[in-house]
Amino acid sequence: MSISSLTIKKLKRFHAIKRGYYAFVLLVAMILASLGAELLVSNRALIVHYQDNWYFPTYGDIIPGKAFGLDYDYETNYRDLADQFQSQNAGSWVLMPPVPYSPFENDLRPDILPPEPPSTQRRHYLGTDTSGRDVLARLVYGFRIAILFSLGLLMATYAVGISIGCAMGYYGGWFDILLQRIIEIWSTVPFLYVVIIISSIAVPNFWWLIAIMVIFGWMGVTWTIRTVTYKEKERDYVLAAKALGASDLRIIFRHILPNTVSIIVTYIPFSISGGIVALTSLDYLGFGLPPPTPSWGELLQQAWANFSAWWIGFSVIAAMVVTLVAVTFVGEAVREAFDPKMHTVYE
Amino acid sequence: MTAYFIRRFLLIVPTFLGITILIFVITRFVPGGPIERIIAQAQQQALEGGGTAVSETVQRQPLSDDQIDLLKKYYGFDKPVLVSYVTWLGKLVRGDLGISTRYYDPVWEMIRERIPISLYFGLLTLIATYGVCIPLGIAKAIRHKSAFDDASSVLVFVGYAIPGWVAGILMILVFSSHWELFPLGELVGENFETMSLWEKALDLAWHSMLPLMAYLIGAFSFMTFLMKNTLMDNLAADYVRTAMAKGLTFRRAVFGHALRNSLIPIATTFGNNISVILSGSFLVEKVFNIDGMGLLGYESVVERDYPVVMGVLAISSMLFLVGNILSDMCVAAVDPRVKFE
Repeated sequence: MSISSLTIKKLKRFHAIKRGYYAFVLLVAMILASLGAELLVSNRALIVHYQDNWYFPTYGDIIPGKAFGLDYDYETNYRDLADQFQSQNAGSWVLMPPVPYSPFENDLRPDILPPEPPSTQRRHYLGTDTSGRDVLARLVYGFRIAILFSLGLLMATYAVGISIGCAMGYYGGWFDILLQRIIEIWSTVPFLYVVIIISSIAVPNFWWLIAIMVIFGWMGVTWTIRTVTYKEKERDYVLAAKALGASDLRIIFRHILPNTVSIIVTYIPFSISGGIVALTSLDYLGFGLPPPTPSWGELLQQAWANFSAWWIGFSVIAAMVVTLVAVTFVGEAVREAFDPKMHTVYE
Repeated sequence: MTAYFIRRFLLIVPTFLGITILIFVITRFVPGGPIERIIAQAQQQALEGGGTAVSETVQRQPLSDDQIDLLKKYYGFDKPVLVSYVTWLGKLVRGDLGISTRYYDPVWEMIRERIPISLYFGLLTLIATYGVCIPLGIAKAIRHKSAFDDASSVLVFVGYAIPGWVAGILMILVFSSHWELFPLGELVGENFETMSLWEKALDLAWHSMLPLMAYLIGAFSFMTFLMKNTLMDNLAADYVRTAMAKGLTFRRAVFGHALRNSLIPIATTFGNNISVILSGSFLVEKVFNIDGMGLLGYESVVERDYPVVMGVLAISSMLFLVGNILSDMCVAAVDPRVKFE
């Protein structure tokens, strides 16, 4: 696929909008970092050097404690191992990730009841939640799940929306009228309401939740694409293609769709932030992904129920603000770059 | 045009039927309904009452088949879905929304108790939104690309990005829990009954401050940018240039000519306000413990109180559908160019 000069112009315009461009860079960096989160936040060591052997436990099967001369068969506790090696001082060492906790691990201590306030000495940089899990670890993994969920939802919704919307706009007629009615009914059904009803029957997993949300959330995109296709269909180039004998499918895929891309693109960032907010709301209410999945909504629920544990609330809200504001800035910049409006200004 | 609106009003009927049938069918197939709850309660009682001596069968099924049939009949679960839907619809037409399966109160009474609360916040939000967004949008359009425009854009975007209820949790954390400036939720204080009228008003205002902010944060951005963008489109139009060319001051060109046309898109959203007034966000209401329509609807879903679910849905979807038509009527009223056929 070649990039047309028009697209290059749009991308340049996007690059010139500094607020949006830097927000985009930040977001991409956050997503990439979260994809490799095991290297930053994990209770597995990055590198273990033991008796002249090198171990890289981050990915792969668990290494039992016996492998390092400990007296148990379950997974090695690398934080303890690090302390042990240090006190033995026999040339073995352990390199832990910056945050040495897993999001599922309850770090309970006999002398302190969770939640525990932030402490750099314990390496709980944002404290622990009500069951003693590291807040930063849950934030990072929660972000990864939320953003992947949102991207998955985006792709599924747009696939459905673009197919139905294009068909409605292109073919028109009774098909269009019938689907218009269905969309009107479907969009009046309160969305979260239905998702709550359905997810209270059976606790949904990641893909189920996406499926439910697509079933009750495909209307917006469909409507937009329908309108755009409807307009494009009347243009001369479609008539010309038709006169040359192009088939319907060819006209839709080779001629109309490429012309709708710039409009579709402007909606994408807002769909992403919508997906994150929807998942967080559901998790907050307890109807999202099942526990103990790390989730921002669940942390918000804890923050709401425990005002004294201020670190939970502030961390998760700060993370949400940064992410959502960045997405919104990107969205605004994309809209300005791809669908520019030139204004007259009076001096 | 009258014919068009009559047709639109007639179309409400099939759409309304579609929505209510859909939800009715869903509620019918969701497990954990009132009968399951009563069975669970009976189990609980049998366990508590009989101690360890309860027989195996009682633990599994404390009610006899006859009792269950009786319950099914009482809740209308003994008939096929469509038959009981028609029964529900028939009652609805006569103004009877049924009886809550949880509190055994008439559903309409429960809804009527909540309406003033949702109406109060809805109206305040509405007034504040229009009161702030229109002047702000005008100021931003006139000073496009100035420092003021950029700074306020950032603020408005931040407000747009964060959902109102999350902002609500933040405000509770900062203003209520940490600084103790505002209450932690609820609509009125504990000894509200004993206060004088003036104290009551103060107490209400004090309690409404944070929820109102949470409602407003999300509402601002859309309206402000709608106002700003349409005004800028109009400022670029030929008739404003003509007005300027014939010697009008910029101020008179804006307020006398451009502004009037820019209010049209604002009017298109006006009709939908009737549903905003009554629905209220259940998330904001949950965060602040406000007992409004949103929370009622949410709790009824969670507790499987289907008559309430259906009642809230019937009222809110009706308002939504009528609101859409009212919006179109507003457009037709303010813009003589618009013709609906």
